[in-house]
Amino acid sequence: MSLKNTLAPFSAWMQAFSKPFTVPDEPGVRPGAPRYRGWHINDRETCIGCGTCAEICQNVAIDMVPVDEPTKGDSGLRPKVDYGRCCWCALCVDVCPSGSLAMSNEYVWVDHDGDAFRYTPGVDEKPWDGAELGWRKDEGFDIVDHERVPMGHLDPEERIHTWAEVVVGYTEEEARREAARCVECGLCVAACPAHMHIPDYIAAIRDGDDVRALNVIYDNNSMPEMCGKVCTRRCESVCSIGVNGDPLAIRWLKRYVTERFDDLKSVLDVDVERVGEGRKIAVIGGGPSGITVAYYLAIRGFEVTIHEALPQLGGATFFGIPKYRFPMPSLEKQIKLLEDAGVKIVTNHRVEGDELRRMLEENDAVFIGTGLMKPYRLGAEGEDLPGVVYALDLLRDKNIGREVEVGERVVVVGGGNVAIDAARVSRRLGAEVTIAYRRRIVDMPADDEEIEDAEAEGVEIIPQAIPLRVERTDDGRLDFVWGPAEMVPSDRGRPRPKLIEGVEHHMVVDRVIVAIGQSADHSWMPPDIAEKVADAKGWITVDHNGMTGHRGIFAGGDLVNDTADAISAIADGLRAVEGIQRFLGILPEREETEPEIPVITVR
Amino acid sequence: MQFDSIEEILDFAIGKEMEAHDMYMDIAGKVKRPGLEKTFLELAQMELGHKARLEQVKAGDLSGFAAGEVQNLKISDHLVDVKPHPNMDYQEALLFAMKAEQRAHDLYVDLARATSDPGLRELFKGLAKEELKHKLFFETEYDDVILEGN
Repeated sequence: MSLKNTLAPFSAWMQAFSKPFTVPDEPGVRPGAPRYRGWHINDRETCIGCGTCAEICQNVAIDMVPVDEPTKGDSGLRPKVDYGRCCWCALCVDVCPSGSLAMSNEYVWVDHDGDAFRYTPGVDEKPWDGAELGWRKDEGFDIVDHERVPMGHLDPEERIHTWAEVVVGYTEEEARREAARCVECGLCVAACPAHMHIPDYIAAIRDGDDVRALNVIYDNNSMPEMCGKVCTRRCESVCSIGVNGDPLAIRWLKRYVTERFDDLKSVLDVDVERVGEGRKIAVIGGGPSGITVAYYLAIRGFEVTIHEALPQLGGATFFGIPKYRFPMPSLEKQIKLLEDAGVKIVTNHRVEGDELRRMLEENDAVFIGTGLMKPYRLGAEGEDLPGVVYALDLLRDKNIGREVEVGERVVVVGGGNVAIDAARVSRRLGAEVTIAYRRRIVDMPADDEEIEDAEAEGVEIIPQAIPLRVERTDDGRLDFVWGPAEMVPSDRGRPRPKLIEGVEHHMVVDRVIVAIGQSADHSWMPPDIAEKVADAKGWITVDHNGMTGHRGIFAGGDLVNDTADAISAIADGLRAVEGIQRFLGILPEREETEPEIPVITVR
Repeated sequence: MQFDSIEEILDFAIGKEMEAHDMYMDIAGKVKRPGLEKTFLELAQMELGHKARLEQVKAGDLSGFAAGEVQNLKISDHLVDVKPHPNMDYQEALLFAMKAEQRAHDLYVDLARATSDPGLRELFKGLAKEELKHKLFFETEYDDVILEGN
């Protein structure tokens, strides 16, 4: 051993007394730069738990963990960051649709517990919570495009002279561009009553695979072209992109795909076990819930017959929705698919008397989806005068092809989608139209877009207008008398209108169209069965299988749910599809942890 | 209508509640719509509750009366009355009940106006307020169910 090596340990010890080369400052003395990407912070309230941060993280450093109960538009999950993996790139912050995620400029943290370096910002308290400095998304910068690809509409002036569709539809290029805005968070799936696989079909559209998109769509919706045109789109109301921008045009993308194919049977690749061979199901009412039950049972081998009182299937989507919103060829295409699936369709057949009892004997189960066909009455004096009509009758007559006249001046009473449809149809029939609504415009149950379209077409809306009576004028027209309302608070939510006494307004019209709502009519059922399934208001209560109080009778649609939209009716149908199979012992009983509306696939 | 004592008035009001109870029971036995029989039986039961409250008042417990102002939504005021019939539906049932309570309210208001005795007037006003409260119950239901879209 050389002398140098022998003395080396002593030389090293001498360095202990030399000036250190390391920075002598105490930890924390030097603050992080104002835009430093330090420990994460998250505004728990603004965060919607969409998981886009976790999705984009290239190091898989973020897990979404349950923190709160899920609510509409909030998964209840929050990001938990693993700092053993995080590289502080801040992609998670830059992509965050709600803008809740940020990074503090704190970077020093000493802890002997390694697990401490996995925490849920905004939930696990940290000293840097609320830090104002650190990395934030730049003002005006976003990885995600916040602007929706605009949809073309016919000009309002042109619209009122035609029954052509108002919405033009996306081109292929527009659809791909719009689909590319999706962050695939899946909040929409939970919001959709039928739990459609939205991110999957939107990803397929983005990738240019429209066949795959259509197949994904038909997993759990057999009337998607209808939904692509008139859906109430609860999905869009919770879209994470919509928090700080335009929500993804989910409805228009579904419309794009479903319009691409005329022969659905040749495109759909259905692969489900035919577990229902030899079983018979009767469906009463050919609306969205009945069609759903019929299609998804028929492809499983059940022998299904739909009994419909009107000359065409479709329910309210046939007789209620005007053709400029949902044209007949679109409906016919969907009915053709039903026939191709082997469903027997009996139209112009109103089930009456003891027929339901016979159906129960001859079938393994019966599904009722007869909807709400009986309009509520106005209740005011003069309601029985000629010229006072009900919106449901007017829309049905128009859609069936009967001659409909409304004269030059019309008042529509009501504020729901039926009222708006009646008003817009009347405009197309050449009338000047006013809607008289008891509450404020903000309270109108009609779709906002429908209200805007109606106003663009020249429909006048008078809010807080209470109908008092209808009188016959000397020249044979109608005097619609209404009084103004003040809004008074209510302990049940929305304020209630209250008539201001002593003021009367007169409107001379040719038609008063009543569109205040509708109820169910169960007079077609044997009374003992009706007593078991329906309540005084006409509602039918069903269990988790969609079965009513009468064994073997299932129900869905507007009779059952209070949302009165087609997608909820489809969801009811899906529940009954599984429920009927459980009832017949084909599927095992539902586990408590399973969702009531099943998430199904047919591929 | 002539009343000589508070007791007589309360007996009259109690009789009116019993009349209403009997009327609802009678309709309950006649209606055909599923579930509506139960609705009318519940209405009849409510009238018994009103009767019990008036008996409380008669026994000297004025807390049985509705306190404070009672909201009047005036929904039934401009709606046409209906006659009960076997095929009546929920809308008609509510209309009928609202109108019945309206009539009872108006009766007590008229009696309050007609009397010169301040004590009796206050009692009639109290009874009118009670009926207004019953009417509000049905009007609220009508507003929530029938007029939900209007």
